[in-house]
Amino acid sequence: MADFLSAYSIQNWLESCPQGYLDGTVFGHGPGEQEIAILQTNEVLHEEAIRTTVQLVVGERCALAASSGLINSAPDEASKRFLATQTLDEARHVEIFTHRLYDLGVRKDDLESTIKEYANENLVKFAGVLLEKVDRKDFVAGVVGQNIVFEGMAFSVFEMMFAMNQDVNPKFAHTLAGTIADERRHVGFGENRIGSLIKENPDRRHDVEKMQKDMSYFMLATFADAFRNNASVAELERLGQERAHARFHGSDLGVLDPEEMEYLLATTVLKEFKTRLARIGIEYQTPARP
Amino acid sequence: MDIHDLDPETFLEEVHSFEFWFQAVEGYLSGTTWGHRPDAVETPMSEPDRDRLITVLCNYCVGEAAALEGASGLIAIAPNRLAKVFLSTQVADEGRHLEVFYHRMRDLGVGDPEREVERRASPSLQTFRRRLLELVASRDWEAAIFAQNVILESLEFAVFQDHARTADPVTADVLRGVVKDERRHIGFGENELGRRVATAPHIRARIGQIKNELDHLVLEALEETTRHLGMPRTDHERLGRAYLESVERLGLVG
Repeated sequence: MADFLSAYSIQNWLESCPQGYLDGTVFGHGPGEQEIAILQTNEVLHEEAIRTTVQLVVGERCALAASSGLINSAPDEASKRFLATQTLDEARHVEIFTHRLYDLGVRKDDLESTIKEYANENLVKFAGVLLEKVDRKDFVAGVVGQNIVFEGMAFSVFEMMFAMNQDVNPKFAHTLAGTIADERRHVGFGENRIGSLIKENPDRRHDVEKMQKDMSYFMLATFADAFRNNASVAELERLGQERAHARFHGSDLGVLDPEEMEYLLATTVLKEFKTRLARIGIEYQTPARP
Repeated sequence: MDIHDLDPETFLEEVHSFEFWFQAVEGYLSGTTWGHRPDAVETPMSEPDRDRLITVLCNYCVGEAAALEGASGLIAIAPNRLAKVFLSTQVADEGRHLEVFYHRMRDLGVGDPEREVERRASPSLQTFRRRLLELVASRDWEAAIFAQNVILESLEFAVFQDHARTADPVTADVLRGVVKDERRHIGFGENELGRRVATAPHIRARIGQIKNELDHLVLEALEETTRHLGMPRTDHERLGRAYLESVERLGLVG
């Protein structure tokens, strides 16, 4: 275990993250990069950009609370130290997505009310399932919930958003690229560290599987809300503006309708869950479809 | 623009950010490995000196582990986003301190630093750690921030700064980097509590109560550490005074 955890040291983190892929960035993107004009001038697209970014802030606030909360229940010092880097990663994500809200014109005084207005209630429930485990100092369930389920979802969501923005909004795409690199590290820790703990505590499997099923349901409900009620695609069509033909898991996102995109994202994430959970000895539980 | 010219709200937005932390640590951690410059040279050390240094490092680890657990627990009760982000940078700092001290012990030939810390930890520091975590668990923001970012950080600041003057080159380099972080942490505690004391004077009495409760643990830990470092009693008294004065200077108590 000590050898694997040495790959997650703060020394490695300093070299790969702040001194590596974040070097030269300002709030996660290149200096001088700005949001594209249409997000500022078109009312519908502007509101959808704010709504989407609010979900990112809500998710990252949950991840910050979870990773910091797990430090005190971690069974060894090396895990505590890895979680210290994850805590700072998540705080950075909170900060950069909050700054995106400011860049989109949200006033600092209106930040909390904007988050309250747009936060998806299913995403809040998804976070609630995880934070309840963290509050009970349940390290095994907390790490599976945080570093496998939550981060696994975030990883695929960010990758899809990155693909959609890469050619049309480089500033936001760069912001996402740094978070994707962070999430990859977090998922890796979860898989490596928790596998041995599940082996040592086989009686925990049932609880953890139930948590995964509950979290997966609220995740799918969040996706359903996000895609089915999103007005961006219709607005771009109304404007006669072609969507970016970005590839995501073999599909052209520029031609899929919102329900097809929802299905593609949901199946991608659930497939990832199944693979990752199997690696740590947890049997994937199929959630109900909202 | 000098950050001290900013209005108070913008100043806090700036100094409690990841960006600010990153710029700060980039300046003194860039190019270091396990907290020291690669050209810092090991000097020969007698066996009793090595053993004493290991004991001291073990106790530094107890303090840093307390700070790591304290700072991470404080994130949940921090009253706003900026305080949460600042405390996240502190969590990473404390994790780094723990890591570099563990690594220094490995350099000195300790095979299992975690076990060594358990074996050599000072009882008064362990009691302090327990009490700090109780304050965090009881969601007592002012008391916990005072215990963590003023008392513990001031103690570490005084001891590390002093030890860096006489330590071997590698340990001294590690300590100097840690001291730079501690300065930022004390600044946060001073700023956060200073604003609260100004608007709610009863907090001063609560802080005074915590200080009275924890001071003897700090002074006991200090006494043990200076003894292990082989320092004369006068130095122990001088460090004790330095700690008390640095807390006093913040003007939060009394």
